[in-house]
Amino acid sequence: MSSSWSRALTQISPYTFASIGIAISIGVSVLGAAWGIYITGSSLIGAAIKAPRITSKNLISVIFCEAVAIYGVIVAIILQTKLESVPSSKIYDPESLRAGYAIFASGIIVGFANLMCGLCVGIIGSSCALSDAQNSTLFVKILVIEIFGSALGLFGVIVACAAHLDHNQIISCC
Amino acid sequence: MSTFSGDETAPFFGFLGAAAALVFSCMGAAYGTAKSGVGVASMGVMRPELVMKSIVPVVMAGVLGIYGLIIAVIISTGINPKAKSYYLFDGYAHLSSGLACGLAGLSAGMAIGIVGDAGVRANAQQPKLFLVNLGQTKIRWPRDFAGNNSVILLQEQL
Repeated sequence: MSSSWSRALTQISPYTFASIGIAISIGVSVLGAAWGIYITGSSLIGAAIKAPRITSKNLISVIFCEAVAIYGVIVAIILQTKLESVPSSKIYDPESLRAGYAIFASGIIVGFANLMCGLCVGIIGSSCALSDAQNSTLFVKILVIEIFGSALGLFGVIVACAAHLDHNQIISCC
Repeated sequence: MSTFSGDETAPFFGFLGAAAALVFSCMGAAYGTAKSGVGVASMGVMRPELVMKSIVPVVMAGVLGIYGLIIAVIISTGINPKAKSYYLFDGYAHLSSGLACGLAGLSAGMAIGIVGDAGVRANAQQPKLFLVNLGQTKIRWPRDFAGNNSVILLQEQL
């Protein structure tokens, strides 16, 4: 085998990659959701001092952020069902290595896409609350922008599920 | 079931390329959407009738996420060592394609965000600036197309 990155990578167990991928998919997604929720929530509460009517409508921004965390949980559950134990003679087989890398990449994709989505939706939700407090016709228009933002989390879920988990290579997995 | 052919660890780089394509494009799309969105919301308080026209930068930023999605799916479905042998060359090519698309998307998204924010605020005060704003955000797209074309060229070498 050539002396390159490959040599180092084959010494790392695919269980490591898969487990870290699953952890990142849920951990970083929830980080994004939480970040978005606190950005939105603090602006919402501050704006509602002078305009209390906005509170119930603007909770939808918080729900959009929460959805991001749910995407992360769903993908983490799907990925961990793909993780099975194989006899130790087969751990470093090419199929197992490939499965480990695929789960790792799926986890990173979902995690960081949801992190960005949560941040984006949080910032827009905060502006939505503030502008709704001044002019209530603006709520629906800014909500359209929030919907564009929340599509980014869906992209992450689509790539992780559709592209990485359909081939039956994953079934014979680490 | 055909046997696995090619280098064992090449899929690591290939999948990382797919991840880079989507994650960095999402970063750019998120930045563009958020920054322009804040500008639209601020501007809409004074001029609510202009809000729907000013959603253009947000739409353009969203399209960047779609570019990343397409490239990530193309790369991921191209990693199939049982059907077609997958060597380190293929892995590195996919990694560079993904990074090219992703980083181009990130920079385009940041540019769209900053220009969009300034543009919608200026458009509220001076309606003649709408086309200038549109032109500047459209110029950001070719940067991302350059990233996508290099992806397609590298794919053809495989």
